[in-house]
Amino acid sequence: MNLNIKANKNNTFDAIVVGSGMSGGFAAKELTERGLKVLMIERGHEIKHIEGYDTAMKQPWEIEHRGRTSNISAEERWANSRFWGLGSEEVVNHLTNDKENPYIEKRAFDWIRAYHTGGKSMHWGRQSYRWAKHDFEANAKEGIGIDWPIRYEDLEPWYTHVEKFVGVSGQKEGLEILPDGHFLPAMPLFAPEAHFKNKMLERFNRPVTVGRVANLTQPQDIHTSLGRASCQYRNKCQRGCPYGGYYSSLSGSIPAAMRTNRLSILHDSIVAEIIYDEQKKRAAGVKIINQNTMQTEEFFAKIIFLNAGSINTAALMLNSKSNRFQNGFGNDSDQVGRNLMDHQLGSGAQASVEGFEDDYVYGQRPNAMYIPRFRNWGNDKQTAYLRGFGYQGGASREGWESGVTNDGFGADFKQSLTKPGPWSIRIGGFGEILPNPNNRIYLDPEKKDKWGIPMIVTDAAFVENDWAMRKDIIASAVEMLETAGFKNVTPYDRPTHMGLGIHDMGTARMGRDPKTSVLNAFNQVHDCKNVFVTDGAAMTSASCVNPSITYMALTARAADYAVKALKKREL
Amino acid sequence: MLGGAFSAPTLMAMDNWESSTKSISGAAFSLTETQQKIVAAITELIIPKTDTVGAKDVGVPAFIEMMLKDCYKAPEHQSFMEGLASMEKVKFLDLNTDERRGVLKLLEQETKKITSKTPPFWRLIKELTLLGYFTSEAGLKASFEYVQIPGKLELIKLKPNQKAYAY
Repeated sequence: MNLNIKANKNNTFDAIVVGSGMSGGFAAKELTERGLKVLMIERGHEIKHIEGYDTAMKQPWEIEHRGRTSNISAEERWANSRFWGLGSEEVVNHLTNDKENPYIEKRAFDWIRAYHTGGKSMHWGRQSYRWAKHDFEANAKEGIGIDWPIRYEDLEPWYTHVEKFVGVSGQKEGLEILPDGHFLPAMPLFAPEAHFKNKMLERFNRPVTVGRVANLTQPQDIHTSLGRASCQYRNKCQRGCPYGGYYSSLSGSIPAAMRTNRLSILHDSIVAEIIYDEQKKRAAGVKIINQNTMQTEEFFAKIIFLNAGSINTAALMLNSKSNRFQNGFGNDSDQVGRNLMDHQLGSGAQASVEGFEDDYVYGQRPNAMYIPRFRNWGNDKQTAYLRGFGYQGGASREGWESGVTNDGFGADFKQSLTKPGPWSIRIGGFGEILPNPNNRIYLDPEKKDKWGIPMIVTDAAFVENDWAMRKDIIASAVEMLETAGFKNVTPYDRPTHMGLGIHDMGTARMGRDPKTSVLNAFNQVHDCKNVFVTDGAAMTSASCVNPSITYMALTARAADYAVKALKKREL
Repeated sequence: MLGGAFSAPTLMAMDNWESSTKSISGAAFSLTETQQKIVAAITELIIPKTDTVGAKDVGVPAFIEMMLKDCYKAPEHQSFMEGLASMEKVKFLDLNTDERRGVLKLLEQETKKITSKTPPFWRLIKELTLLGYFTSEAGLKASFEYVQIPGKLELIKLKPNQKAYAY
């Protein structure tokens, strides 16, 4: 590579953050608040908070296909829509056009992307759970993958820091498996859910709680000072919230970073390579390609945070070759791109609920009921598989949709559908997937995308442990719904691929030994300490809880460390 | 959007959505005038005008044609066309209202025996009629208590004859 490290003054910053999503936004906030001049580089187009949410206030009849995915959209957004149906006009402009951004599936992988300001933080499920102490220890205890170089106690203050800023609504339960956090008031469980909760405690001693969700039930100064307001209970979060009722980089971390006057954001700029300075033995900056004009440019900084999303972060590292890193940047261990994990979902059970006819709800709860992991926990020992799963789900009253499958038509039928229908309930598993070096992404040796960057190949699938767990997810869901006394309990098991959980992680894992891991205990690349990876790529195992809050906690911790190290001139 | 934020009925609807659209690539789709008349007549029997607007008042027939064209593919198109052909065969438009209702009742029962993966005609036209009607401005507002911005979340007791909320 022909290096031009005569850094242009305008192109030089204290820190570069690659990506503006969940972890990138947080990195920018933490670094700018500690006094650093930061350049955030986003590969996609700009979306402005509030004014960019073009469908947010649309009424049902203003959505052309009324929430369905058109054939055109299904073709353009094939990965987004083949399972989740994420091709409706409500959200389609905020999800990546897969046809224009293709990847190669050696094994099928649902890679859901959001190339724009805020990334997937704009659409996330907002479920926010701390990891259990056990989650950090399980690899070492069971001899799976490698040990985490940190423990719960290392992350604990950073969880609190993140929860305060993000605003997480939840109920304290005092459970070891699901540590309590700093919560805003909890949302209520609906009547059949409360019944279910009591039954599960009574019959199985299994706790059930309301989801811990990053929606503001009672905004604090830290939120309102950024212009965020209380959740309006529309449950249209995925369109973007004009009230800032839920947390995203757009509503939270980016405005916080902007008010320091130390953040610059570059849009439409794909980071193609990390520039490595062979003399100084550190990363000098990055090379970008403008996605529209194809022009390239270089930017320089003392430290670089990679937050492009697990798969893109790994791909960027693999594509950054130098004399020192001939196998890809930071990839002496050959672990970059490997150990791709996710959470398995798409299976569980549903049932009809008799009774509770007088119970109804005003408003739409943007949240669910949560059943923490109970398998391979406490006295429970499964022989068929390791680790466990949580359930998310809930009860709701059927709407006019029930008329589709129920018999009838005509005036009485029409009238009947205007009333709230009977309650039904559904729970679905979120299962932990183990690190496996054969589940991976890599760069195609020949094929390139339209920007001349090697195409990404996904090569990952569920293995025996996942299938055995899936069986139990279904069987336990049936058992629990039946035990609660619900009727017509029906298991479901939809064919799914990895990636569908949209929790892709593990492709540049943390560890103690540079021979088997990519990052150290502070998310620094082992062999190039001024580069930090704090998105999902850093994860050494996956737990079964939703990961975003852990990514943000890791990011805040790493940013704090990085700035201290810079001040001590260690970087 | 994920992480359990979907309600159970939404997920069930998505199951239905998937099974009804996952198929081979599309074909041109359009209806003749007679076919359009049959579709309009059936939608109005499913959701008739009463003291509130009916399917035809809110443009359901045109909505169905648009949806079939834009969101469905060849197998569903074929299934829909076969259904219309059988309606033409029984001279549906020449029947009186009671006779038409009789045909639809029979169709409803016959549909239950069909096991193919492609949704049959009755299922398609009924689903799209309900979708088109209950999400149209006049149909939605006539049927439900429409609340665009609830502003709060409350467990409440249902009052007698209370309509469902729509958001």
